[in-house]
Amino acid sequence: MAQMPALIPKEVEIQRLKKIWLIVIAMGSTAASVEVDNFVDGSLHQTSIRDSAFTPAHWWLYSHFVALPLGWGAVAIYDRRVPILRGPNNSMNTGLKMTILGYLATMFTIGVNEMWHFWFVEEIFAVPNHWMFNMGVVVAFMGALAYVVRVYARLVELGAETPGENPYVAEMYKMALEGKLYSRSIP
Amino acid sequence: MTLPKGFGSGGGGATSADVEKMIGRRVENMTGIITLSYIAAWLATFGGTAAGYFYYPWAYPTPSGHYAFIVLTIVEAIGYLFSVKVCEEGTKKKSNGILAATLGGTAVGTILISLFVGV
Repeated sequence: MAQMPALIPKEVEIQRLKKIWLIVIAMGSTAASVEVDNFVDGSLHQTSIRDSAFTPAHWWLYSHFVALPLGWGAVAIYDRRVPILRGPNNSMNTGLKMTILGYLATMFTIGVNEMWHFWFVEEIFAVPNHWMFNMGVVVAFMGALAYVVRVYARLVELGAETPGENPYVAEMYKMALEGKLYSRSIP
Repeated sequence: MTLPKGFGSGGGGATSADVEKMIGRRVENMTGIITLSYIAAWLATFGGTAAGYFYYPWAYPTPSGHYAFIVLTIVEAIGYLFSVKVCEEGTKKKSNGILAATLGGTAVGTILISLFVGV
């Protein structure tokens, strides 16, 4: 990644990138709490028998499939103030696009899920009504990872974040910023 | 440097007043709102799990609620710590006292709630 020319003052850019960072940490906490809760505590999801299509134990889980598309939408609105994060042809950042599309898919799947569970109450992960949840979340994770790494790399470029002190890690960051990271591992 | 419409004095560079205007509230001054948000999230988490075990005990027994509440508190605490540390790095501000008091308070609160509240 080449050093890009600054279009806004450095200090302004650092503050804006950190505000994006804050929204991402808040959403990360929300997502982690919901997912850890549901997958660690079996009584919440896998072993609770649905007594209706809309079992209370699922409300917490569903709420984050609504909160995340909206939260990432807020990131997309604020993101426009950071020129370095623009996507192709001045459009939305590609990682951000993938994230929003992925979580939108999960949001709309809530309806599909409720319709399916009207007839079938089993909560096995692999049943068809859960497919779009799984695929949507994977697409969103890929996009979010790309976006978050881009924000972090820019903070490193601007000198606001310090790469690892381990000389090998520092060397990897340097090579990544020069676009040469793969030249070692793929000869 | 190209500045957005309304900034700068026409032809000149960005003044420090322009920079301040573009930044708005600085992230290192957001510790208060971040702390309040964390406490609100923690109380909401308690409300959510309590609604579970008081109103829907067949779907959400008390030990499950307490377990979820503890795990969620830990996740939220890590998020809170990261937020404050990221915002204050590179500045002279230090909020370790507020951090310790808030995290300690919610930790003690979580233990007391897990021991004494439930059905």
